[in-house]
Amino acid sequence: MNIIEIKNLHKSYGLEKVLKGIDLLITKGEIVSIIGQSGSGKSTLLRCINFLEQPSSGEILFEGKNHFTNHANLQKLRTKITMVFQSFNLFENLSVLDNLTLAPKKVLKKTKVETNKKALETLALVNMQDFANKYPKQLSGGQKQRVAIARALMMNPEVILFDEPTSALDPEMVGEVLETIKDLAKTKITMIIVTHEMSFAKEVSDRVIFMNEGVVHEQGKPMEIFTNPKEKRTIEFLSRFNK
Amino acid sequence: MKIFLGKAVLFIAAFLIIVNAFPKSIIESQELNYPQNPEIQEAIENIKFYSDFNFQTMNQDRLNRTITDFYLPIKYENIEISYLIVSEYLEVSQDSQIISLRTGDIEVKKVTLIKSPSILRGNHAFTINATFSVGDESFLYHYYGYVNPIIPDSFLGGSLYTLVTYGTMFFQGALLTLLLALSGTIIGFFLALVVATAKMIQSDEFESTLKKLMKKTMNRAASLYITVFRGTPMIVQASFFWYGFGLFGNPLLCGLFVVSINTAAYIAEIIRGSIQAIDKGQTEAGYSVGLTYSQTMLFIIFPQAIKNSIPAIGNEFVINIKDTAVLSVIGIFELFNQTKKITGMHYRQLEAYAIVALIYLVLTLSTTNFLSFIERRMGMQPKELTSSS
Repeated sequence: MNIIEIKNLHKSYGLEKVLKGIDLLITKGEIVSIIGQSGSGKSTLLRCINFLEQPSSGEILFEGKNHFTNHANLQKLRTKITMVFQSFNLFENLSVLDNLTLAPKKVLKKTKVETNKKALETLALVNMQDFANKYPKQLSGGQKQRVAIARALMMNPEVILFDEPTSALDPEMVGEVLETIKDLAKTKITMIIVTHEMSFAKEVSDRVIFMNEGVVHEQGKPMEIFTNPKEKRTIEFLSRFNK
Repeated sequence: MKIFLGKAVLFIAAFLIIVNAFPKSIIESQELNYPQNPEIQEAIENIKFYSDFNFQTMNQDRLNRTITDFYLPIKYENIEISYLIVSEYLEVSQDSQIISLRTGDIEVKKVTLIKSPSILRGNHAFTINATFSVGDESFLYHYYGYVNPIIPDSFLGGSLYTLVTYGTMFFQGALLTLLLALSGTIIGFFLALVVATAKMIQSDEFESTLKKLMKKTMNRAASLYITVFRGTPMIVQASFFWYGFGLFGNPLLCGLFVVSINTAAYIAEIIRGSIQAIDKGQTEAGYSVGLTYSQTMLFIIFPQAIKNSIPAIGNEFVINIKDTAVLSVIGIFELFNQTKKITGMHYRQLEAYAIVALIYLVLTLSTTNFLSFIERRMGMQPKELTSSS
């Protein structure tokens, strides 16, 4: 069953065309990695899925329906598809616990007791339960990103979008975040991950998508893409990582 | 050492102002029991004293500002008057003498000013016990007055005299200035939140044309407000609202209104800047978990923007302490206007304005120090840059 259907998606900023007709189907429970050069439109594609960017043309369907019709639908969509950002974007003015509970309280109208209990459970999942009362600026990059993942999980989403989750981290901290995402992958939640960590993509994904100049250039099983790429551009790109 | 001396001088100045803020008890100058004899009654009321300076006539209330010798008439029509003053500053002569006035010669007793009170002690109260006698009837009446210190010619002496004598007025002015600046800044801040919101509110693609138009109008109105109130001097705004409309029927309220709306225009821009300086990721993170525009603003953006703009808002407060001086044009007796009033009373402009400059400096310096203390407590001092940031 397709949870997300992207049909002929175009996005341009003024005259600059970033996405030039993307067609993509993502099935429920699938883990998809998107790789490609900087500027190839990976992040833009991801941000179009939860409408942080408005598509210029084309259609994005979630569970067979277009949600970009009014505030209520858009809000509903965003509680079902949450996002983890490259620069964490934790709410700087709130404690770790409040970062997690704000949206469930305000959007899902859950009680404080309920959300606090769930927040502590979710923090335990990402191994951050001891930091509930700390503020974002007291945490390291890896810890921030794990909290951000917990925040994305708090809404019980159907899909989580990861926008280069380890690109802003020190090399030492990349591991802890990737471990967390791998743990999450076992729960069979749908995940779309934009990443530059090739070995991680190879290990964790069901499907790898190589994007080049605003189009899906090649896609397939990770083994196929990484060991036996067909397109010339894909070979070029991957050869740089295998050096 | 220099800093310590400076602080000591400021401290002493503040101390003198505060000590003098509490007025000395004023002796009742009204006598309760009046004589039965109407002639004596008339004499008590109409008797005139004469100053040593050109024999100018002194009304009885002029005794409150005695700085020279003066003369007491020993007769009023057919009533004889004798005087007794018990004071270390004044002495009544034994013998009477004749002085020539335009209206004729009269017989008087001279009161000699033995010494002037020190400017630090201030005014010295004295009582004239005057006995009015006609035939075998006599009546004792008290006149009260003050011997005033003489203003020294030197700058330092003059300043000290001004500070001691008019300390209360300076203090009241400073209090009003602080009050106006503080409440003006606080009211202005809340107004500014409204103005900044109105200026920044954006419509999105789902809204009706009417709603979009309303939001556009709000943007325009807020911009116009900011342009007008930042682009015209506060002295003009104050005159416009007070002399033009007599707003609130009270210059003080009108002045507070002007300070508030003026400050609001500036703080609105400060807050707008702070909002724009906040990482776009914060808004996106809000949206990404389903928060609406207003929820994101209310719970995420405004708290951060306001915290970041506290130093700038503190600056507005310091600026207001100085700028409320222009409210003197609409007759508010804040610090500057009080000073003008004082110079009108003793004509020592240099000393009075030097003192008021010092008071303004003390106010702004202590406010600045207090604000930076608060900022430190809130952890808002600029952090050291580390290699990873």
